[in-house]
Amino acid sequence: MAGRVALSTFAALVGAFLVLPILAVIPAAFNASSFIRLPPEAWSVRWWSVFFADPSWRRALFTSLQVATLACGLSVILGTAAALGIARLGGRTRQIALAVFVGPVIVPVIVLAVALYSLARSAGLVGTVTMLAIAHTMLALPYVALNVGVSLAALDPRLAMAATGLGASPARVFRTITLPLIMPGVIGGAVFAFVTSFDEVVLSVFLAGPQVKTLPVRIWEEIRVEYTPLVAVAATIMIGLALAAAAASRLLQRRAA
Amino acid sequence: MTAVRFAGISKTFGDIVALQPTDLDVASGQFLTLLGPSGSGKTTLLNICAGYLAPSAGCVIVGDKDVTRIPARARNMGMVFQNYALFPHMTVFENVAYGLRVRRIDRAEIERRVTDTLAMVQLGGFGDRAITRLSGGQQQRVALARAMVIEPDILLMDEPLGALDRQLRKDVQLEIRRLHIARPRTTIYVTHDQEEALVMSDRIAVMRAGRIVQAGSGRDLYERPLDVFVARFLGESNLIPGIVASLDDGTAGLRVDGLTKPIEGRATQGLCLHQPAFALIRPESVRPIADGIQATVVERVYLGEIIALRLRLPNAQELWCRRFAAEIPDSPTQAIGWDRAAVSILPELSPEERNQVLC
Repeated sequence: MAGRVALSTFAALVGAFLVLPILAVIPAAFNASSFIRLPPEAWSVRWWSVFFADPSWRRALFTSLQVATLACGLSVILGTAAALGIARLGGRTRQIALAVFVGPVIVPVIVLAVALYSLARSAGLVGTVTMLAIAHTMLALPYVALNVGVSLAALDPRLAMAATGLGASPARVFRTITLPLIMPGVIGGAVFAFVTSFDEVVLSVFLAGPQVKTLPVRIWEEIRVEYTPLVAVAATIMIGLALAAAAASRLLQRRAA
Repeated sequence: MTAVRFAGISKTFGDIVALQPTDLDVASGQFLTLLGPSGSGKTTLLNICAGYLAPSAGCVIVGDKDVTRIPARARNMGMVFQNYALFPHMTVFENVAYGLRVRRIDRAEIERRVTDTLAMVQLGGFGDRAITRLSGGQQQRVALARAMVIEPDILLMDEPLGALDRQLRKDVQLEIRRLHIARPRTTIYVTHDQEEALVMSDRIAVMRAGRIVQAGSGRDLYERPLDVFVARFLGESNLIPGIVASLDDGTAGLRVDGLTKPIEGRATQGLCLHQPAFALIRPESVRPIADGIQATVVERVYLGEIIALRLRLPNAQELWCRRFAAEIPDSPTQAIGWDRAAVSILPELSPEERNQVLC
């Protein structure tokens, strides 16, 4: 019994260790003073109006949303296609293909960042939404491919055979049978992709420009100058979006299933 | 008229021969069963017919058209899969309507044909049900309806009753048989269950190790099996090993150690004088005879109106005998015999198969 209590306490402590720093940011965003203090001495939404009044913060938020949406769309299309292709391969080829597609997640991001930076520079793409979206897609695509791959593995190949036998073209089989049935994986992958792009900072620092920077880059710049509750506001917005994305995916997955 | 002709069809996967060169004709409206143990090539042959597998050699002719290179989706065949392969995200109606929607048939016609077909398989009123809310037997019938509604040139079924419990399987067997008689469609049915094959088929092709060993009506196969394998696969059989002692004009005598007289019976193709062979005597052909062979009763199994006896002959060979209870006196020994017409003398392997083995 005592052992049980000790174990539960330990588990609760680990949980707190993981969650508290995240939760601590939220009250900090509603602080009236100019410094981050916990708990806040007076509650206020003052810093929220400052945040939204400042064009550089607004632009950063908008850029982040733009890049995340683009990267999410691109990685969903390419990642799903990759998963479908990999599922058809056998044996060694499959192992190699998997390694290639999961590679960007395993390679240290800083290496990827340096490589992409030199590439982007020669192409004149540094500081563009396009380049940021392409870079984020490299990180997000493997999550989509893996998520969809799991859904595909659970899909009975005879369903597609049955539809084919009934006269359906490959495109129709995909649209009416395969896609609806792997939808939970696609949605899960899309959320992963969106969130991955939204909070990515290393590649973004390298590839951002004076006019085009994502929210995490803007936060990073801010805290190098001063440590104001504005950073907490930005962080709270990011947490809120991540939670909203997760909730939306649960809802969509339940409907798709 | 021939509906499907397999001409020299074979299939190899790497070094593995799944199907030896095979010829088979299926007549229009015929219910043909491919019967054999797993790995005998029956599903391979079915998948080649459906177009899911390309044969390594040979061609498939449907009607008078060579369809070997035509993809599955253009073949107009209705397939019922072992696990049904119903679309889990669609209703019963949508599952059955799928093949019709692909064919761009108009809405009212689809409605009518799906409704009719569901009624035919006794699922009228089930159209709006989710697939997941159906029992195994109902799912099986949806799969059948989905395959039949497109009016396929050939109906293909791959062990469709394997997942059902025994009683349900018997009901569905009879139902499939009734549907077939009411509206004969050319059907190729794959099973490893001999009873299923006997109940439903017009014709049975027994397969083994990638070959059709023998094809014929259930009765042909049961009464005139070509070899020991077919004899064992259909029905129960007593097989007594011996040496061919005489062979003339359709009759053979088999010398069996420990029996005073050779066992005589109808000679099957491929017997050679002085070579080993088997006498096939079905359990229902063994009967009490006043001056017959003295056999000891080893086991007596009561099966209602039938009694099954396990008998031991003087040479220690055992035989099963099935008779009406009233015919069997209650004694530890029985004098038994059989009619010569009910006995077949068989080679272990049919001549064709022996060639295969030698090659």
